[in-house]
Amino acid sequence: MLIFDQLNKGDQPLRILAWGLLAGLLLLLGGLWKVQVLSGAQYRERQETQSFRTVRVPALRGKILDRSGREFAGNTPRYRLDLYLDELRPQFAAEYDVRRAALVARKSATNAPPKDTFWAWVGRGFRKPRTTPRLTIQEIDQLSRASRFAAVSNTIAEVGRRLRLPLTLSEQALHDHYITKRALPLPILPNCTPEQVALITEQSWNLPGVELERVPIRRYPHGHLASHVVGHLRRDDDYNDEEGRFDYRMRDFRGAMGLEAAFDRELRGQAGARSILVNSAGYRHRQGEEVIAEPQPGLNLITTLDLDLQVAAEKALGSVAGDERGAVVVMDPTNGDVLAMASAPDFDPSEFLDGVSAQRWTNFFLAEPATPMINRATYGQYAPGSTFKIIDAIALLEAGVDPNALFRVEPDPTTPGKGRYMLGKRSIRDLAPPGEYDFRRAFIRSSNSYFIDHGLRLGWEKLIGWGANFGLGQRTGIRLNEETGGDFPTLDTVRERGWTAGNMANVLIGQEITLTPLQLAVAVSAVANGGKVFWPRLVDRLEPESPLSETPAVRVQPGQVRTEIRAKARNFDLVRTAMRDDVLDSEGTGKSARMSDFEICGKTGTAEIKGFGRKDKVTWFASFAPFEAPRYVVIVMVESGASGGGTCAPVARQIYEFLRNREQGRSAPLAHLGGGQ
Amino acid sequence: MTWESTFPTRRERAVEWPLWIGVLGLMLIGAAFIFSATGSADAAAGRPWWRYRVMSQIVAYVLGLGLVAGLCIIDYARLARWSLVAYWISVALLVAVALFGVSRLGAKRWIDFGPIQFQPSELAKLAFLFALANFLARPPGELNSPALFAKALGMALIPFLLILKQPDLGSALVFMPVALAMMFAAGVPRRFLLRFLGSGALVVVLLLVDVMFAPPGWKFIKLEEYQKHRLLVYFGLDFAPKGATPSERLAARAEQEKKSYNVKQSLISVGSGGLAGKGWGEGTQSALGYLPRAVAHNDFIFSVIAEERGFLGSLTVLTLYAVVLFSGIKIASQARDRLGRLIAVGVVTLLFTHIFVNIGMNIRMVPVTGIPLPLLSAGGTSVICSLIAIGILQNIHLHRRHY
Repeated sequence: MLIFDQLNKGDQPLRILAWGLLAGLLLLLGGLWKVQVLSGAQYRERQETQSFRTVRVPALRGKILDRSGREFAGNTPRYRLDLYLDELRPQFAAEYDVRRAALVARKSATNAPPKDTFWAWVGRGFRKPRTTPRLTIQEIDQLSRASRFAAVSNTIAEVGRRLRLPLTLSEQALHDHYITKRALPLPILPNCTPEQVALITEQSWNLPGVELERVPIRRYPHGHLASHVVGHLRRDDDYNDEEGRFDYRMRDFRGAMGLEAAFDRELRGQAGARSILVNSAGYRHRQGEEVIAEPQPGLNLITTLDLDLQVAAEKALGSVAGDERGAVVVMDPTNGDVLAMASAPDFDPSEFLDGVSAQRWTNFFLAEPATPMINRATYGQYAPGSTFKIIDAIALLEAGVDPNALFRVEPDPTTPGKGRYMLGKRSIRDLAPPGEYDFRRAFIRSSNSYFIDHGLRLGWEKLIGWGANFGLGQRTGIRLNEETGGDFPTLDTVRERGWTAGNMANVLIGQEITLTPLQLAVAVSAVANGGKVFWPRLVDRLEPESPLSETPAVRVQPGQVRTEIRAKARNFDLVRTAMRDDVLDSEGTGKSARMSDFEICGKTGTAEIKGFGRKDKVTWFASFAPFEAPRYVVIVMVESGASGGGTCAPVARQIYEFLRNREQGRSAPLAHLGGGQ
Repeated sequence: MTWESTFPTRRERAVEWPLWIGVLGLMLIGAAFIFSATGSADAAAGRPWWRYRVMSQIVAYVLGLGLVAGLCIIDYARLARWSLVAYWISVALLVAVALFGVSRLGAKRWIDFGPIQFQPSELAKLAFLFALANFLARPPGELNSPALFAKALGMALIPFLLILKQPDLGSALVFMPVALAMMFAAGVPRRFLLRFLGSGALVVVLLLVDVMFAPPGWKFIKLEEYQKHRLLVYFGLDFAPKGATPSERLAARAEQEKKSYNVKQSLISVGSGGLAGKGWGEGTQSALGYLPRAVAHNDFIFSVIAEERGFLGSLTVLTLYAVVLFSGIKIASQARDRLGRLIAVGVVTLLFTHIFVNIGMNIRMVPVTGIPLPLLSAGGTSVICSLIAIGILQNIHLHRRHY
């Protein structure tokens, strides 16, 4: 270039000067090259990390459906009124000015007049004396904090006036939000009613910073229905088991119980991310929002439950007089599918969405003996009482007890008309009247003497082996976190506990051991189907809502056999027939479950619970139907019932009536249970 | 003086076109990026368009160009006769600043004339430059006298010390390279200059020892606290003294964070511009307030340009400055007398020092000082003084053939 001629022209000093200039400019250029080109990416990253905040955006939660696609849990839009702090900044400034002026006036009133020095005297003609006192940083902080609160309160009060609602916000709440989530909107009305939404959208609203936001929220359309299986959510924004680091997290939930908890990861889907541009004061910058990653909705969970049957089961259980506590399990004995599972008392899962007070927890959710949060069908452990005689029966018959051989029940001298069994010096009550008993009669009259006398000859090993074969003492593997395996001894525990024949007698009549209604359902299914102990199935499949999704559906294989019980078919037949006669025979304990056109087979049970300073009863009815080709297993358990036959058998009958009616196409699906919408 | 003598009729260029192309380019860039840095804030504040900050810059450009035209009518030699008067007036103004100046951010640099605030140190640089050129323009033989050298140094020291007192170390230090370059071009014996340079270097070393090692009971030269901090930021050193307690250390860390904020943000601005920049008005650093709005359009305007136009923008700005500076050297080499040559050298050095220090501070090559970038930084005094300086170059060029 022409101008650079100067490097070679002119006299020496000027040439040196020209070279010096060139060197200086090249030095700057080199520095700029280094900063802008060589380290440009690094500085761009630093610029982004200081000006962008990422927000975790929860994905739409997958639905929980019954076997034919009806919703137990879905989603519904909810309207939330938000306040964007960044749009109130002019108001903050205005409030600040007013407050600052007041403070300055107060301070200068108390301040000493400026010193009368020589220079001050000289300068007085030229400049105004300094009148405004300096504010400390603490004072400025306090002023800004108060100004923010004043401006926000004004806006919120105005919103409240227009909506005719007393809306308030605590100073601390605002400050916390300001400190931790400045770039996010402040929710001022988390759940607007349709009337409020109408009011907000109709009115020329025109309040700066106030915006209506539509957010999805969990909905349980049937309220209490199957609440223990479906479970509930708990507010939790902080998923630390996920990848990705976020500066802010939007309101989210996590499954806390039931299927919501057990399949939380699948239902939750993949959270997305949004970035917000923030300015140096930490406020959101308008039009600076960008979606970085779309959230991937969660998978729908299709259960094996039958919504109509569930309604029928809960209704039947609810027909027990009083504040019933109990459980019902309905299972398909051909494949182990759980068709209905009820536990009473129950709860409304939607109650947890907005948080539950500690008081409500102690007074309701955890209150004994109701404990509505316990899924009694899988998590309650109960002595099976006489229903255990079903397992006794298989064990005895397999041990070679002749079903036709007669056994004499001795009369109980203290209770006329009842029998008793003497084990050494201990007298065990037998509700069966004294007399001659073969296997069938002993079963349907539930004779303790018969089963204890024959059972004691089995020995621990065989008894424990049969119980374990039917899955007692082990979890059934249902996909719920709230499951227990009950208490059934092993040979080791028998030895450790030093159990004697007396304990064995108790076990034979279903005392000193516990199981869950679900375990009993699995065991009864095995009897009904001729020996197949299934892994019960509650979840049929997980599939994406959208058919276009690339995520494949995951199906749980139905009818997975856990153990095949090696017992003679004849013996299963004998037990099934005895169960049928328990209902059918006028002498049977389960006759109140009888239906004229549906052959129900069952066994009643009543277990005495002693301990914890109280005496209580657990009543049972374990059944399947129909006799020829069992399609349903129904287990009914009621705490503090009168008796298995009196309390539980009628509940089972109502459920079978519903099933029979439906099979014969007699009734439309029942109306939804009360308590839902 | 006749028309003939003022504007030559010979077929020779009266106007040094490359110089003015460079100046015009810089003024366009200045207006564009001051608008980019302040326009949205001005709009948000609801100001009418004539009250935008970019408008006062444009007014300063026009006013400055008018002054240039006026200045060119009078031969620089005649102007130089008044240089000593101007020099003492500017010294008086500096004294006035010390007495009645307006304080901003802890330094008294401005005089308040009602609607206009004026920074006498800018004027003092020009007046000093003129006076020194006039002083050194004597026959080269006389310059061998040490007394003369001492007098020349004294001329530099008076405004230097007054500005140092404001305190404005950056502006004060500008006097030194200008004086040095002018004496060098005038032919002052090298040994004087080397001695001067040597003692300057000694002072710098003593200062650095004080700042970096903080020996207790240091008596020689002390810097103001803020100047120390700026140097510590520059060298990336910890603010906390060696034996500091943890709480002192924490406070020092917070202070450091605050003090190095501007440099950190200007580096991020410049660096994030990359090769091609984010586009005019697309820079986020000043829009979001990370680059403080108070300085983005004046001392740190280069960061805004570099962020929005990238390395290519930086290159353009440097090229335009190179055109201006080398035109100045050319004018110096073609000047008709020693006076013209020395003034031109002084102007070029003055502009170069400003450019180097300001851009250097934007990329942490030089410690932070409040030195504006000629023609680009918003600020009336700086723009007008820069234009006067460049106008004098044009004056020297215009009168190069008339003896």
